[in-house]
Amino acid sequence: MTSMDRRALLTRAALGATGLIAASAMGSLAPEAAFAASAQVPDPGAPDPNFAEGLITGRNQDLLQVQGSDGRLHKIQLTGVTSVWKLRPTTIDQARIGDGLYARGVKLPDGVLAAESVWINIVNLDVMINSIGRTGLNLDHHGQKVVGHVQEGITAAVYNGTPAISDLSMLKVGRHVQVIGAWRPGTNEIDLATIYAAN
Amino acid sequence: MFAQQVAAAQPLLIGLLLLWTSYGKLTRPEEAQKTALPKLVGEKRATPAYRTVGAIEAVLALALLSPPVWTAEVLAAIALGVGFTGYLVYAKIAVPEASCGCAGTAAKPVGARSIARALLLTATAAAALTASQGWWSAGPATLILIAEAAAFVVLSPELDRYWLLPLRRLRIRLSHPLAGTASNAVPLAATHRLLLLSPAHRAVTGFLRSDIRDYWDEADWRFVSYTARYDGRPATAVFAVPHDAATPEAVRVAVVDESSGQTLYRPALLSLAG
Amino acid sequence: MDVMYGLVGEASWFCCGNAWGPCASTGTGACATCHSGNMQHAWTNTSDACYAITRPDQCGVTGVSRRTCGFRHATTNLCNGARIVTSIADCGPRTRSFCGERACCGGTCASNRVMDLTPAAFTRIASLSAGLIPAGIDVG
Repeated sequence: MTSMDRRALLTRAALGATGLIAASAMGSLAPEAAFAASAQVPDPGAPDPNFAEGLITGRNQDLLQVQGSDGRLHKIQLTGVTSVWKLRPTTIDQARIGDGLYARGVKLPDGVLAAESVWINIVNLDVMINSIGRTGLNLDHHGQKVVGHVQEGITAAVYNGTPAISDLSMLKVGRHVQVIGAWRPGTNEIDLATIYAAN
Repeated sequence: MFAQQVAAAQPLLIGLLLLWTSYGKLTRPEEAQKTALPKLVGEKRATPAYRTVGAIEAVLALALLSPPVWTAEVLAAIALGVGFTGYLVYAKIAVPEASCGCAGTAAKPVGARSIARALLLTATAAAALTASQGWWSAGPATLILIAEAAAFVVLSPELDRYWLLPLRRLRIRLSHPLAGTASNAVPLAATHRLLLLSPAHRAVTGFLRSDIRDYWDEADWRFVSYTARYDGRPATAVFAVPHDAATPEAVRVAVVDESSGQTLYRPALLSLAG
Repeated sequence: MDVMYGLVGEASWFCCGNAWGPCASTGTGACATCHSGNMQHAWTNTSDACYAITRPDQCGVTGVSRRTCGFRHATTNLCNGARIVTSIADCGPRTRSFCGERACCGGTCASNRVMDLTPAAFTRIASLSAGLIPAGIDVG
């Protein structure tokens, strides 16, 4: 099935235009119960074996080699059903050597992490807006300068918890904001995804 | 004669500057822990050392501001300026993320401006070496201090919020550089948040195995899909979010079998409501 | 959710442990144990110096107890009921910078940022790209 056909099928299913094959009685399966079933919770303070963090140092087809900042080495397998975030939801070919990542999945007996979700270069920073330009923001991250680039069609702002909008004209110099963005490897620059401003 | 008066005026500026820098060190000595001092003199001795520097600054400031006029005071100020410069260069190299701990109570890392300010302090003190009278008899030469004080303000990152930020704010109020970003397009962040707060998401959250895998728009809806597992089978959960949705209750969801494409689950109440 | 929590507020995530990108200079936190891959969190009241930075009381959040490194809290995502237990490894978040922010789920509303989880912990109950979730917090 092509991805277009697949989207068409999913579109119809989501809008309720397809019949159900399983009994709706299955709906009684509470989400909490499902979480409990997948338990095997790591100890507080300890590393989570089903999680990996680090820099991508090698890529062999869809198997990533990752050097963790705590010294651990990870092998991460991407598949067709792995979700990949790199500024926006994207495809697995976007994971490149030199990128930073966080991955969650299932640790297989051979030590490989079968990734279910991968977030590439994602950062979540509490910063102050130093100045605003036509192409982005100059930010102060605990005394370090960070340049935030506005990406048309992606960058959005949340003002005091209201729904995100693309209008960035209410951002103010000197205010603290939280930004979710994608780091540009090897630089102090990020592409801005969401800016949370409390005004 | 005028040069003499300029020299005589300098201790006034140096004195006031040192009073300001000593204030932060004496009232918030715990700030020492954020500076490069713990590395230089050890963690235990950092706070007392910081406080001592503050006390020296305060004593020297008062000596400079009050009669009699002693060259020894000026020499001490030069020594302090040279010491500050050396310390800041050391801090910048040894602990780049450390706070300057220079003035006021704002924690700012050591930058080129802080080092330039220490150099300017040294130069100002050196200019006072030839003074034979006190600053109170410097006459119109005192006006030169206004220009010098302005230079110190420009070189003080601690003071940016009083002049640089308001200036930038004013510029942005006159014409916001990002005024053109407003559009009718719904950002994914808005869809994502509405979806996460929805009863539909709550109904299937236990089945979801990934973050957002794909998203697309069709007519007045945005569709967002996730990898899921339902009853042990690989599946996809697909959400439909109306573009004009005001409440999370408008979000719909279905869980679709990965291989057969058949709908496995649709929360009953939600589909009736739709 | 008819459970009563000790504290209800917004939870977000942060990186620590000298990792990549802007996290390169953050170090291992106030407790010198913090790593992005560990099940840990930051707490707004780990010491006087910490509280002076976070100041949740300035947003009207009172009674945040003094807890030190290693103390355990349970965080529940109010949107999906998922819950994790983590231990304190750093000071944060800066509640006072974001007073009044509000998010609601399932009839419970959460205001003000009170909890910061490591990526390993946050991804167990929510998505990193969402950034901010309404949460209930208890002693774990």
